[in-house]
Amino acid sequence: MTIDKKTTKNGSTVVNAPLTQKGRLGREIKRHTSVYLLLLIPLIYYIIFKYVPIWNAQIAFKDFQARKGVLGSAWVGLQNFSDFINSFYFWELLRNTVFYSIGKIIISLPLSIILAIAIYECTRPVLRKIVQTLAYLPHFLSWVIMYGILLSLLAPADGVLNDLIRLMGGTPIDFLSSVNAFPWVVLVSDAWKEMGWSAIIFIAALMGIDVSLFEAAMVEGANSWQRIKYITLPAIRPVIVTVLLLKIGTILDAGFDQIYMLYSQPVYSVADIIDTWVYRQGLLQFQFGLATAVGLFKGVFGMILMLVSNKLVSRMNEGSSIF
Amino acid sequence: MKKLLVALLALALLASSVFANGAAEKSSASASSDEPVTIEVWYGAAITEAGPIPEDWVGYDIVREKLNINLELTALPSNENDQDVRIQAAGAANDLPDLFMVRRPVLANLVAQGLVAPVDDYYALMPHRTEIMYDENAIRMTTIDGENWGFASPGAVVRNEGILVRKDWLDNLGLEVPTTTEELRAVLRAFTFDDPDGNGRDDTWGYGAFVESDMNINGYPGSRFFPLLGAFDVPGLWSFDSDHLGLNVYRPEFYDAMVYIRSLIAEGLVDPNWLSYRKDDFRAAWKQGRFGVMKEQNAAFAGEANYAPFDANFPDGEWIVIDAIEGPEGYAEVGAYDQNYRIFAISQKAADEGKAEKICELLEWMSSDEGYLLCGWGVEGVNYVLDENGIPSAGDLGDMAFSGTQGQVYTQLRNMVFYNSDTELASRYPTYVTESGKTMSALTTLREMQSKNWIPAIGSGMMPTPNADVFRYFEQSLAEFLSGQRELTPENWQAFLDQFNKIGGQAWNEAGIAYAQENGLAY
Repeated sequence: MTIDKKTTKNGSTVVNAPLTQKGRLGREIKRHTSVYLLLLIPLIYYIIFKYVPIWNAQIAFKDFQARKGVLGSAWVGLQNFSDFINSFYFWELLRNTVFYSIGKIIISLPLSIILAIAIYECTRPVLRKIVQTLAYLPHFLSWVIMYGILLSLLAPADGVLNDLIRLMGGTPIDFLSSVNAFPWVVLVSDAWKEMGWSAIIFIAALMGIDVSLFEAAMVEGANSWQRIKYITLPAIRPVIVTVLLLKIGTILDAGFDQIYMLYSQPVYSVADIIDTWVYRQGLLQFQFGLATAVGLFKGVFGMILMLVSNKLVSRMNEGSSIF
Repeated sequence: MKKLLVALLALALLASSVFANGAAEKSSASASSDEPVTIEVWYGAAITEAGPIPEDWVGYDIVREKLNINLELTALPSNENDQDVRIQAAGAANDLPDLFMVRRPVLANLVAQGLVAPVDDYYALMPHRTEIMYDENAIRMTTIDGENWGFASPGAVVRNEGILVRKDWLDNLGLEVPTTTEELRAVLRAFTFDDPDGNGRDDTWGYGAFVESDMNINGYPGSRFFPLLGAFDVPGLWSFDSDHLGLNVYRPEFYDAMVYIRSLIAEGLVDPNWLSYRKDDFRAAWKQGRFGVMKEQNAAFAGEANYAPFDANFPDGEWIVIDAIEGPEGYAEVGAYDQNYRIFAISQKAADEGKAEKICELLEWMSSDEGYLLCGWGVEGVNYVLDENGIPSAGDLGDMAFSGTQGQVYTQLRNMVFYNSDTELASRYPTYVTESGKTMSALTTLREMQSKNWIPAIGSGMMPTPNADVFRYFEQSLAEFLSGQRELTPENWQAFLDQFNKIGGQAWNEAGIAYAQENGLAY
């Protein structure tokens, strides 16, 4: 409970009746109606599409029968989780999924930062806009189209890259069907497709840096690299940490669309990830309990990782963590 | 005042209960009321690359006026896996449409979940349609545990694929049509290394294929390799021959076939893109003259629109359909074939709402002369004309003809009415002359392909399917052997079979054998 004081024009103080928390919130809402109305839209979205469906997470613990519905289906305890963890390819799926997630972070994140800094540092507006547009463009292509592009680049018989290899006297490589080459195709094609889009958030952070810092550094004789090292990177560090933490939270999402389009039987051992397994085992075989259990497993696993990482970041560098 | 409030409240409660009941009654009795009954249909589009049926399609008005049905049509995705996911997701939400096309393995899942209605009693409501479409085999296709769960209408024409060889390449190199596996190897070698098109570039291969695998008939490496597997008597996932009933992979001949195919791949005689090609890439490749031997479907090869790019690229090019290639033990089969059906199921929800009879009425009308011509070819004079033999043809109707770019969308439901009658085949596959002056007919090609030696695998579509991990192991291992990742030796092959048995392959095989025996599928 707080006491609401107001000073009038003639200098006297008026003390209003103490406000309860509820009363204060009501008054806040009334005062900033438009802001709260704006908040309402995402709030409704989250309630409908993110919180209400949590009710259905109980399917993970049931032998789901569509006719009986969520409530009518029989409880099976942790059977679905057990089926997943004891499945023949579990460890391979986990290994591949984590490998692609971490690999994408290791490759894509630095490239996005470098691209953002390069665009920010570019002094020619036309060139900057052209590079920016070209870098964003692949993000808007579906993986179906990307597969077509990759096939024309990487096909063993007549792909551009294999033509070059042949020209230099080498032996063509079946990039899409070789267990050694396939992971690189996944990581590099993802970086190519998403690098420009991921750079946006870093460009936005760069725009927020006080320009006078750069001016002062230039006066002090700092070169470009020193300006990046001592001003740019430290300034966007909180954003880098936030992006990293968010990516850790979805570490078991290795990119279903991409893998599903690119993989084939000879590379299953290095390509099959949890999501493609769920597609085949859960969705195509009508095992929705199993599919939900895996979804829940991924969510909880990701949340734990994110909380731990956030705590570590908070300990190492106070103020850089998300919460 | 208080009394008045109580009275009003009671009235409101009464009214709400009455309206609630009324709504429920309306829902369940709608089939018998004067209001049009809404029937939601999910269909498989006949021309997947064309758009959906336009809203101004005259069929909507006809079924509303004649059958009192408000028809709602939705096209399923063209990809079969996507179709399965769409239907199963709707099933999981207990939100299946009233009538929908479904593949048999998915139908079995839905039956187990109680989501589809048994249809045994409904054939009598569709006497004409049943007579032309639903024979004993069709009914057996959708019978599970003694009850019938869907209407299986004839699908694609069976044995409609063949082994095709570039005759002009053979002539250029002075070669004969291959008849045995070793002659085939020699031809493939010449096509790969002897510049059969004479362009001076090393840009051709002997055999062209892509992976077209499944858990029903194709198995792995799939139907595009059937001519090679057929030389060893092992095309298809299952063998229904009583002497070796079961999965073909267990037969020694399958190992021999794998060795033969691997040797062709290792020698570079198969287009190296075979593992990366999707169907469209493969079809673009033969039209670009990349390989000289392949297995292709009659219409995909000889249909006017499909043949045109090849004809434009190679005015002097010529493909011929050849006999099955004979293997070392004398086997020679183009491939294995099952009966093709398109299954339409009624959801239990629709049956509960009393719509099943109305659905039968709709299907029977679709098979009437009026419905058949409308769904199959469109409107007479607009989308088709009848020729002197009474066969629908495009005439001079241009783009609006049933085969034209604008008119074809009006025939998207034709798979619900076609049953491979002579009229359909003559209409679908007319004889035409190409730009370069060749006379072509997909019907003649079809008949030629059907005349070759095929091995029956009737019932493949009904056989039990394994756990996804078991099938992955099966596919992956065979792919690794063929691509050379794993050396194809008797020891490695036995190790593969041992592990396959261990993770569920043996149980799958035994379940399949038992099913085939119980259902009289073995011969």
